[in-house]
Order: sequence, then structure tokens, then C-alpha cells
Amino acid sequence: MPETVLVIGGGPAGLEAARAIATIGGKALLVERRAVLGGTPDESNYAALTPRMGSAQEALDVLRAGVVDPNIDVRVETTVTGCSGSVGDFAVTLTGPAGETKEHVGAIVVATGFQHFDPGRETQMYGYYEYPDVITLPDAEKMLSEHRFVRPSTGEPPRNVAFIQCVGSRDRRLGNEYCSKVCCGVASKEAIEIRRLLPDTKVYIFYIDMRMYGYWENEIYWPAQEQYNVTYIRGIVTEIVGKDGRLLMKGEDTTMGRPLEVLMDMIVLSVGMEPSRGTRDVAGILGIEQNKYGFIATPGEPMDPVSTNVPGIYVAGAAAGPKDLEDTVGMAGAAAMRAVGAVRGLARSEAAVTR
Amino acid sequence: MGRDLPVIKVDTVTELEHAVVEGVDISGHWNRMFSDRSTTDFPTEAMDWVTGLAGGESMRDCYQCGKCVPVCPVQHVGDYGPRKLNAKILRGNNLIDDPDLWLCTTCGNCYRVCPKEVNPLKIMPAIREQAVLEGKVPDELSDAFRNLQKSGNPMGESPRKRIDWIAEAGVDVPIISQLDRAVDVLWYVSDYTSYHPRGKDAARAMARVMTALGVDFAILGPEERSDGDSARLAGESGLFELLAEQNIKAFEKYEFKRLVVMDPHAYNAFKNHYPRLGWQGEVLHYTQFLAPLVDRLTFRSSVDLDVTYHDPCYLGRNNGEYDAPRKLLQAIPGIRLAEMPHTKANGYCCGGGGGGMWLDGFVAEHVSERLSERRVREAVATVGMDGSGVLSVACPYEPSRFEDAVKSTGNDGKLAVRDIIELIDQAMQPPAT
Repeated sequence: MPETVLVIGGGPAGLEAARAIATIGGKALLVERRAVLGGTPDESNYAALTPRMGSAQEALDVLRAGVVDPNIDVRVETTVTGCSGSVGDFAVTLTGPAGETKEHVGAIVVATGFQHFDPGRETQMYGYYEYPDVITLPDAEKMLSEHRFVRPSTGEPPRNVAFIQCVGSRDRRLGNEYCSKVCCGVASKEAIEIRRLLPDTKVYIFYIDMRMYGYWENEIYWPAQEQYNVTYIRGIVTEIVGKDGRLLMKGEDTTMGRPLEVLMDMIVLSVGMEPSRGTRDVAGILGIEQNKYGFIATPGEPMDPVSTNVPGIYVAGAAAGPKDLEDTVGMAGAAAMRAVGAVRGLARSEAAVTR
Repeated sequence: MGRDLPVIKVDTVTELEHAVVEGVDISGHWNRMFSDRSTTDFPTEAMDWVTGLAGGESMRDCYQCGKCVPVCPVQHVGDYGPRKLNAKILRGNNLIDDPDLWLCTTCGNCYRVCPKEVNPLKIMPAIREQAVLEGKVPDELSDAFRNLQKSGNPMGESPRKRIDWIAEAGVDVPIISQLDRAVDVLWYVSDYTSYHPRGKDAARAMARVMTALGVDFAILGPEERSDGDSARLAGESGLFELLAEQNIKAFEKYEFKRLVVMDPHAYNAFKNHYPRLGWQGEVLHYTQFLAPLVDRLTFRSSVDLDVTYHDPCYLGRNNGEYDAPRKLLQAIPGIRLAEMPHTKANGYCCGGGGGGMWLDGFVAEHVSERLSERRVREAVATVGMDGSGVLSVACPYEPSRFEDAVKSTGNDGKLAVRDIIELIDQAMQPPAT
């Protein structure tokens, strides 16, 4: 019986899962589509991490160092292109720079993550592809990670910036009915970073509800409001039109019950999460169930957030739906433990699925 | 006190938004002193009642994001907002006695952007129907209902006069009952096209264009009744069904391949609502019928005009046809087509839909200006700067609404209002000498 656990995806969930597998004496085979490890936080140029504002690259370096281990076989520029068998002995096909290889693994952890919502999608009236000064959270991350924040149209710092929340989330018409969970915190974090860089720039966040659960309330939301003077206005924006070289946002200030039409230099769309291409592809290749949004289904919720519908295949992180990094890394540990248990033939690891 | 201060109208009371008397600011709501300071109850009966109505179900789904407000045409001219309807109902107001019930034109722009798919196109008719049953209908709307019931058109004109426009068409307009044979096109002319002085211009133009194209067509003539769609949306579903029954009886009497209509409201009724009442067939708005034939239109003169186009809510947003009217306009020699900021899916309502056509007086009490007036200002800003501007339309409600608005906004001479079919007809005539 092969003892190795295949971990698909080299982002925070996959890195932590592989490290955890090795920590408890297992063997991991970690495959990553890109040439570098780090996943979406790396690929999308995250600057600081929510909520404690530490550097994203420094945090990723800790995770990357965790997979430098004789019991972890890391293969980059490699994808899973075939799978057969069942728990205890899966035969998987990997396609990488050296061509196709066949591997036998005892269990699988899917950590293929999410992608940011594309604000050009139908019914969105935010002009993302029309106005250069309308950007997304990851676009802002890229600039902030380079310690600058300027209007793409002019290269000058903006006098005012608005964040619009819930773009691509909580929307039945778009098919994304769920809350993406992290965008309120990430927007507030970026707002703080902008205010640190540009003390004269006014920063606004337009929201439906601020969803700052747990410590994100006091660690991000309150400091943004109290120390960095970020202005929070309840009310969402419906459309953005160009006017005199600036952006006119039209919405409603729902607290006051009045329409708002405000000119901004820059607008940041707080785009939510959708299943990544890799998540969709891998679900098909492994034959595991997806939920109606395309994320990997976890039928054992709430007590078992990591088992898929196929025994021996587990999921960690945002492949299973919107997750913050705390959830992601926590899930990775749980999935690693379950996967090693399955490889060693511990019946308990399948309890939640057979229940 | 300056007379130029902003004015708020609350029901029939007019107040200044800011009032300063002898240096003391006494701004405030006129009725503040008469209402309770605290909300002492949130009665749930009104929401239960609304969502219990067939069509009212989605009212509860609102999560108060407010996306509907900036795209609501009525919001631009008053206090109204789709989100606020949910807030009112949650606080016990079932809208039956609230003027808001009659302000919605069912234009559908809020529904387009609503992340929860709350649908006033179904909710408002459902609540209005209850108001109708209770007899709580604005007088002018009652008059229109009575006329529709009595004579099959909202003006109360005799059904026999439905064909009076033919006399000046200059071409033969066959009436199907006199033909005794099948036709390719049964042309449903509509109320305003048949009776209204400006509507008749479009009817005559359409008759000439179809004749020039050699279309095998006929009309129902005196047998035609209003399509009833606006009555339905205004809450009179019984009247709608009565009119539909009469039209369906006429449709079934004759043989024709397709129905071509002038009025987007008729298009909506025949396409989306008559099937459940027993009639199904091919229905085309006249722009959809003519657009594929555009190469066969023989234009003999150039019109030399700056034209913008007003998307009718029930052709564009609510039925998805944006291209056919534009294809026709672009084919007319000499026309320079410019789009208004509110266009296509985000088109701005003329105010005539959902019964608004028969509520102008009532609505005027609750808004700062008519929707048609705002739309005309937008058209003037787009094409009306040098006097050659045309606001082109494709709905028989609009020529009269917009021409009144051109006058009332002081834009006489800057903007002409023309149905697309009138522009086509004009360009097909020999140049004026």
C-alpha cells in the first residue's frame, strides 16, 4: 500500500498540509501548477496580510521553508491529469516539464484554491474594463506591495479613493449567493495601507453590512476607523460613469435614505471569491462532488469540513469555498491528519463520510 | 426667506427644505411634532400579507443594499425608492393607502440590478390589484379602466373610429374581416397609434412602408381591442383578461402567419402573457419585423438629422431588443445616431408604463418633475444643441409624452420627437422641393 499523500496545490493550504503530513511522520507529494510556491497570495501580489499587517511574502517564506523536508517531494510546473483507484491506492497521472508520470498514492488533499471574481461579468456596471482608475483588491495589492498607490490614468496619487464592497458576492443574479468572507477585512486593511502611504488621501468604504467577525472587528475595522480615519458609509454603488477625468459613483446612502452621486479619483472593487480553474478541473479529474457554486463539496459540515464525498480525498482552504488564511491553514492541518490516517488504514478517518 | 430655496413636497403640503425665520433656523419636517418619537412596534402582518399575494413573494427577500435606488427613474424626481418599499412594509405599511403604490412605472431597472431578484414587475400589480378591489384607485386611473372596459381603449373612443386614420394614409389598408383569405402579417395597430393625433402619424407611415415593401398585411380594424398590458400592471388583471379574451377571439377567427405590433406593451402582452390565456403565435415588434428587410427599403431622400434613441422599457430592458431599432435608424440616409447616457439596459423610463400613462396628474403631486421631462433634458443634452436634434422612439406612448415634455421644459424648437417608422417613411419619400 502506498504511504504517500498527494497534495494538489502549492498555496497556503497545500504548503501547510504537506508540512503537517511530514510532521506527523507521513510522506507528501506536493504538486504545483506554477513554477513557484505560494499560491494566490503570491500570484496576486498580496502586500500585507489581514488582520495583523505582516508581510505576505515573509509569511509565505515560513510556509515554503516548511516543505523543505526529505519526506516532501515538491514538483512545480506540474498538474494532475488523471486519477483512478480508491482510498489506499490511487493511481494518478502527473504532467510536468518531463512529461507524464504515473504515481501511486494512498490519499489526496485538494488545495487548489480560488480565483478573484471578474468584475467585467454581466450585470456589473462598474466599468472595470472601461476606466483605468477602477481597480480591484488584488490590483491595489500589487501597488501596495511596491509601496506606492497612484491613479493608473495619471500616475499621480489620488485625492480620494472609494472601496465598493460585495462585488461578485451575495448576488443571486450572478449566481454567487455566498459572502466571500474576507473582502470587508481586506478592504479595510488596504484602506489602512493607503492612509499610511498617503495621509492626505481621503479613503471611503461603501458597504451593505460590514462583516468583521471575531478579532477582525477590533484588529482591522476599529483601527481603520479610529486611527486611520477611514470613512465607512452604509450604502452600495450601482454604477460608475466617467466624468471630467474622474469617476462618478451613483448609489444610495441607505442610512440617510438619500441617493449619492460622488466624484472619486479611484475606485477599488472588493471582488469576492470564485472556485479557481484548478479547483474545477481537479474536481472533474478526481471525480469529487462540487457544490452549486463549483467549490468542492464537504458533505460532513459542520463537524467535518475537510472530507469530500470520495473516501481518501480531502480538501483544504478556499477550494472548498470562501476562506480566510486562518481557516485555510487550520483546514490544512485537519486534512493532513485525516489523509495520513487514511493511508495507515485508520477507519476513524472515514467516519464522517460513512456516517 | 429666499424663494430659491429647495422645496420638498409631502403629499399636498409644500415645505422648504431649509427655513430661516428672523435669523433662526427652523428647518425640519412639517409633521415631526405630530408623530411618536419611538417606534414601539414592528408589525409583521403587512409583509405576511404582501408575500402571501400571488406575485408579491419576493418582497421579503430585500436585504437593503440600495442598488435599486440610483437606477430607479422615479427616485430621481422624489423621495421614492424601491428599497424603501420593503422598509415601509416591514414597518407595517402595506402600501394600499400609500401614494408610492402608484409611482412605480414597472420599468424593471431595479429588478435588473437587484442581487436578490426582488421583482416589482410582479409585486406592484399584486398589491395594486388589492387596492383596485378595495376601490382605492386614483380617479384618473379609474377613468382609464372604465374606458377600457366600455370601449376597449383608454380614451373611451368608439371602436368604429379605430380605423379613422386610414383615410389619410394614402395607401390601401385592408381590414381582415373584409378579405376572406389568409394574410402573412396581421398588423396590430394599438390604441395610441389608432386614436391619438400624433400616434396616427406612425400608423400611416407604417402602412406606407409595408405597402412599399409589398407586405401581405391586414388589420383587425374595429375588432381590435387594447392589449391590456398596462391595465394589468396597474392592477386590473380582470380587465386585462377580458380584453385578452376579446383579442384572442379575433385572432382565432382569421388566418395569419405572424402578428406585427406597434406597441412594446402589446408585444409584451402577446408574447409573455397571452400564451397562458390560450393564444400562442409569432409576435414581432415592428422594428423586429422591418430590421431583416432593411436592404429592401428604398430610400429616396436623406434626412440630415442628429438622432438619439429612447429604448422603450418593454421592448428593451424587459424583452431584450436593443438592436433592431438601431439597425433601422442606422440604415436611414443622413441620420447621425448618438446614444444618451441612459441607454439600452439602463434606459430611462418615459413614465408612461405600468399605468403611468393614466396617472400623470396624480404622479405630479408626488414628484418634482415628470420622468418624460428628465428624459427630454437628457436628449437635448445629447442631440439638441443646434436645433436639428431628434428624439426617436418606438412606442406609441412616447410621441405625446415627450412632445409635451419638450414644451414644458422650454426646449421648443431644439428637439423633435419622431417614431422610427416616421423617419423611415420620410426618407422613403422623394426629397422635398
